[in-house]
Amino acid sequence: MGADGFFIRVAGVSCRLFRNGAPMKFVIALFAPPHSPAARRALRFAEAALAGGHEISRLFFYQDGVHSASANVVAAQDELDVAAQWNRFVTANQLDGVVCIAAGLRRGVLDAGEAQRYQRPAANLAAGWELSGLGQLHEAAQQADRLVCFGGQ
Amino acid sequence: MATLHMLSHSPFSDSRFSSCLPLLGDTDALLLSGDATYALTAGSKPATALERLSEQVAVFALAEDVQARAITALPPRVQLLDYAGFVELTCRYERVNSWL
Amino acid sequence: MARSMLIISRQAPWAGPSAREALDIVLAGGAFELPLGLLFLDDGVFQLAASQQAASLEQKDLTANLQALPLFGIDNLFAARRSLAERNLDEAALALPVEILDDSGLSNLINRYDHVITI
Repeated sequence: MGADGFFIRVAGVSCRLFRNGAPMKFVIALFAPPHSPAARRALRFAEAALAGGHEISRLFFYQDGVHSASANVVAAQDELDVAAQWNRFVTANQLDGVVCIAAGLRRGVLDAGEAQRYQRPAANLAAGWELSGLGQLHEAAQQADRLVCFGGQ
Repeated sequence: MATLHMLSHSPFSDSRFSSCLPLLGDTDALLLSGDATYALTAGSKPATALERLSEQVAVFALAEDVQARAITALPPRVQLLDYAGFVELTCRYERVNSWL
Repeated sequence: MARSMLIISRQAPWAGPSAREALDIVLAGGAFELPLGLLFLDDGVFQLAASQQAASLEQKDLTANLQALPLFGIDNLFAARRSLAERNLDEAALALPVEILDDSGLSNLINRYDHVITI
């Protein structure tokens, strides 16, 4: 551990001098809503993972993370629209974005099918996402090198 | 074998910090992000607890969070990371345990 | 070989859906017969207290679901000694059979799994 790279402090911010090696397959799970710092942090991590040449095999939104896949969030003009940024990121990079259906239903994040099924007035799942079960989290974790979770209230 | 533990809640208002520290093994590492970086406040109890961790436990902090909070006088053992460094750190440890 | 996952449940039984949603992750993995462990830590050990009455809060009985875990092939259950002691819960009077671990045991436990989710 730690033998193949080290960090030095330059004006208070460290730089990576040696790249660690082989690209990894990441599953990134988000458990927090879009206004939470964790939602932004997870997105910046995901962006850095791709920029670093790694693969994101799946994004899995669970618990309050389902709100980060909502198309209905209206961010103030002078505030970051994290939900929209997440949606753009998933779409632009053609990533597999999954929202847990049970967590979504419980919190009122529905796609057209579920809104119809339960006779709810609105389908608000953003376009880049698909509702599915926890099995998708496990399936992805089985294939991934790293599972990194963000969130918590 | 080693685990990267990640904390993102304030050590002053939350028990995650005090629960996590006793579970750190000698080859594990700790990454502080978000309000968990308040643990780096010089002279505070959490900062003292960090100093008392085994020398072998590597302690990291997300630079943007430290800068946002104007936390200065960092303990020498703490290494600051940008997001590229954060990603690489997760690759260097076998598993990542975020204290959600 | 299947990758193993440890789920660490840190919330009390009725502090919102976290205890239930941690269990759901375990059950979903069990359905695929994946190697899983479930650790009760911090307020999560309150899920193990005996004689709880979920109906008083119009909630589902979490204890019954936890007790059914071995039926789903999930019997690697653990609890933190320190968390139990802090809350003065009697190790001998818990609602589930769990292996009780001290801090170094917990550290080793975590390092035995491929993935960890702490809710």
